[in-house]
Amino acid sequence: MGDKEKNQELKDTKKPKKRIKILISGPFAAGKTQFIKTISEIEPLTTEKQTTAGKEKSVKSHTTVAMDFGKITIDDEHELYLFGTPGQSRFDFMWDILGKGALGIIILVDSTNPETFHEARQIINYFESRYPVPMVIGANKQDLPNAWPPEMIKAALNLDTEDIPVVPVVATDKESVKKALLTLLEQIYKEFG
Amino acid sequence: MGLSGNLKNFPFPDILQVIAKEKKNGILLVEWKDLIVAYYIKNGHIIFARPVDKITRIYTERNFPEILKKLRVKPENIPKILEKYLLQRLGAREGIFSLIFGFVRYKSDEPITIPIEQVILEASRQLTPMEVRRKISDEMLTFTFTEDAKEKLKNLKLTPVEQKVVELIDGKRTVADIRKALFPTPEIDVDRALYGLWSAGIIKRVRRGKRHKPEGLSLDLLKRIIEKVKDL
Repeated sequence: MGDKEKNQELKDTKKPKKRIKILISGPFAAGKTQFIKTISEIEPLTTEKQTTAGKEKSVKSHTTVAMDFGKITIDDEHELYLFGTPGQSRFDFMWDILGKGALGIIILVDSTNPETFHEARQIINYFESRYPVPMVIGANKQDLPNAWPPEMIKAALNLDTEDIPVVPVVATDKESVKKALLTLLEQIYKEFG
Repeated sequence: MGLSGNLKNFPFPDILQVIAKEKKNGILLVEWKDLIVAYYIKNGHIIFARPVDKITRIYTERNFPEILKKLRVKPENIPKILEKYLLQRLGAREGIFSLIFGFVRYKSDEPITIPIEQVILEASRQLTPMEVRRKISDEMLTFTFTEDAKEKLKNLKLTPVEQKVVELIDGKRTVADIRKALFPTPEIDVDRALYGLWSAGIIKRVRRGKRHKPEGLSLDLLKRIIEKVKDL
């Protein structure tokens, strides 16, 4: 191999990979950080802070304030990035920043806590009204006994007349997380294929 | 399996919306501060309400005609009972609900005194501004009619504001447009009407514009992503 070819090879290996972005959004304590942790090939980068609001503090001690970030390498040229957005609606400016250029969105809800469905609906409203992208709802915590089944969550979120699937999720289970991700990718394929 | 929640965080129109969409038989049990009421659901409509002293009673007494007989309730008295134990409580927030589908046995001829859609509209009229904002959360939201909207509307008594909102629904006007068109009607009344009509399955959300295809996304690349995720 000549010097010219060697240099070219070196250049190619240093070439930055193309980034494909999927957004993992949803209400506070819906399981976004865990979802990314379960599927990411790197230890996810998180920007967590101690929760301060009384109600939030009683649910969990730390929460994501800017974003979580996980990665899956597709091939030599492409990487799939998973961005988790903060759940609380006071961080909704992040939806806009992170939503731009996203391949699609998985919105997680806590199936055991119908109170969180409102925030999920607000996120759906936001994207469907302003920046429509392929979307899947992940009904998380389906392993818990008091979880609402996905079809009821679909009804509660007014999705029965829309082409937004609601899939059961257990964010600690890799196969379950894969299934949610594949549902979104198949949606995207159907939409643009 | 029962679904449960708190009416303070998940108000009446939202739970009624699930009942209406599921179109099943069952019982909605609400533990109010002062009493426990079992609401009997038939095909997605609440057809009877009954205060109970013990929750176990609703599980042991499953035959609806027998229950009416035992309570000596005449069919003509059911509207008054529903008025007292359902309609007059739609604005109350201190209640824990459980929704249990199945197990109640009905005859085929029990009448529907008040369509569930009417109860949803009544309940939506009593929502607080904060509750309304949870659902009508974006002024860019756009609505159109559902397939069976005309059929449903035939049996409903709308307020003048709800009627005007219905006339403005066209799949193009946003919430902001409707509010503007109905000015000086207070925004909260317009939003309550939209909330009720949406929860009752009369209108549905319309996506604004086509979904964006990210730049540089080819089908080949998408296939590779799918294969990669499958192999993880």
